[in-house]
Amino acid sequence: MLIQFGGSLIAILVLAGLAVFLKLGGKTALRDEAAVSQAANEVEDGFETMRSSIARGGQAALARDPTGRIMVIKRHGNKYAGRVLTPSATAKEQVDALIVDSGEARFGTVRLSLADAPYWADAINRL
Amino acid sequence: MPEFSPTQYAVPLFVIAILIEMAWSRLRAPEAYEPKDTLVSLSFGLGSTIAGALFGGLSVAIVFAAYEYRVFDMGEQWWLVWWAWPLAFILDDLKYYWVHRAGHRIRWMWAAHVNHHSSQHYNLSTALRQTWTGNFTFGLLFALPLILLGFHPVMIGIVGGFNLIYQFWIHTEAIGKMPRWFEAVMNTPSHHRVHHATNPRYLDRNYAGVFIIWDKMFGTFEPERDDETIRYGIVKQLGSFNLLWCVFHEWIGMITDIARAPWKHKLSYLLREPGWSHDGSRETSDMIRARWRDRTQQGAQRETSPVANRNPIAPPQEAA
Repeated sequence: MLIQFGGSLIAILVLAGLAVFLKLGGKTALRDEAAVSQAANEVEDGFETMRSSIARGGQAALARDPTGRIMVIKRHGNKYAGRVLTPSATAKEQVDALIVDSGEARFGTVRLSLADAPYWADAINRL
Repeated sequence: MPEFSPTQYAVPLFVIAILIEMAWSRLRAPEAYEPKDTLVSLSFGLGSTIAGALFGGLSVAIVFAAYEYRVFDMGEQWWLVWWAWPLAFILDDLKYYWVHRAGHRIRWMWAAHVNHHSSQHYNLSTALRQTWTGNFTFGLLFALPLILLGFHPVMIGIVGGFNLIYQFWIHTEAIGKMPRWFEAVMNTPSHHRVHHATNPRYLDRNYAGVFIIWDKMFGTFEPERDDETIRYGIVKQLGSFNLLWCVFHEWIGMITDIARAPWKHKLSYLLREPGWSHDGSRETSDMIRARWRDRTQQGAQRETSPVANRNPIAPPQEAA
């Protein structure tokens, strides 16, 4: 039983290590508004992006729909995950970035370097 | 009594198949894998085996106790009744269809099964992303009719093992479509990609294990379309590679909902479909599909030509 467990554990680490060695996954980035719109629509089917801002490096983005809902999108591996923000979300401006806390502990905070950070901070904190 | 666990013998084959798929991924589709996701999926597989050994005892005791009340008796050497094996395999697959369907439509069951769907990737490592908490659901009840009919629990365990092995190879994007006759009867990578999709069209479809005919019989079949890119995972993607959060997130969410809900709604958070809420603040898969249908049909109507509008036999249009 213990040998089986040890063998399985080694196999797992070897396979995961091989995935790194083979450079599987790669890097993905949000390049333009169309990419944000597509990612937002994947987070919530039908989310209509009216305004968006992409963080420098394309690792995260914020999107707003015509009804005023705001979505934060972050890179997750080589995919994206996001949340439509609720009143429990907060945004804090730092010198070089906007820190968006979705209010969901496990989703965590998202750091975005944005040109229009004050606009988003105000909008998120007014939700 | 035969002591044989087919899945144990299949593990080396699983590893070899993953290696081959990784080589394919390197050459054709590097994005098909994500190292952290692979590590989580494989850890799920190992943890699932350990959890089964730790918590499976009660389930084993229940099925052996139920076997004492069997209607038909295949005798002491039940394993020599050759026709019982294929029959058990088919009936066990029918059972799998229903337990799997319940796994998607009852939140208590979903709390355990969601683990298998929480990856945003679809590759052979995803197949090993098995639950740790299946023994804390009532999935076992679905096997009891077979036991009471007279199929020995070990026979059900063995055919169930082969069922699980079959399902391993269908977790891949490396295989397009199989020959038409095969796609018509068997569960395939194409059919199962639909099952793992979060596209509204595909939600809660194709529950089959080995034979896709069950979905066709019970109205849950949806073919894969070439014009719609599949998105994998769950409706609310976790956004985390934390293994323990991946394992327990839905249990935590469900228990929190039950604790917070008014008394008359508590049981509904346990037994109704995932996404149901007493105040309508969330969406079930049916609601997501209905909203999508409304949206896409409105869009199609705007684009429909006046001639088609006047044509009573023109088929309804639907955007992907």
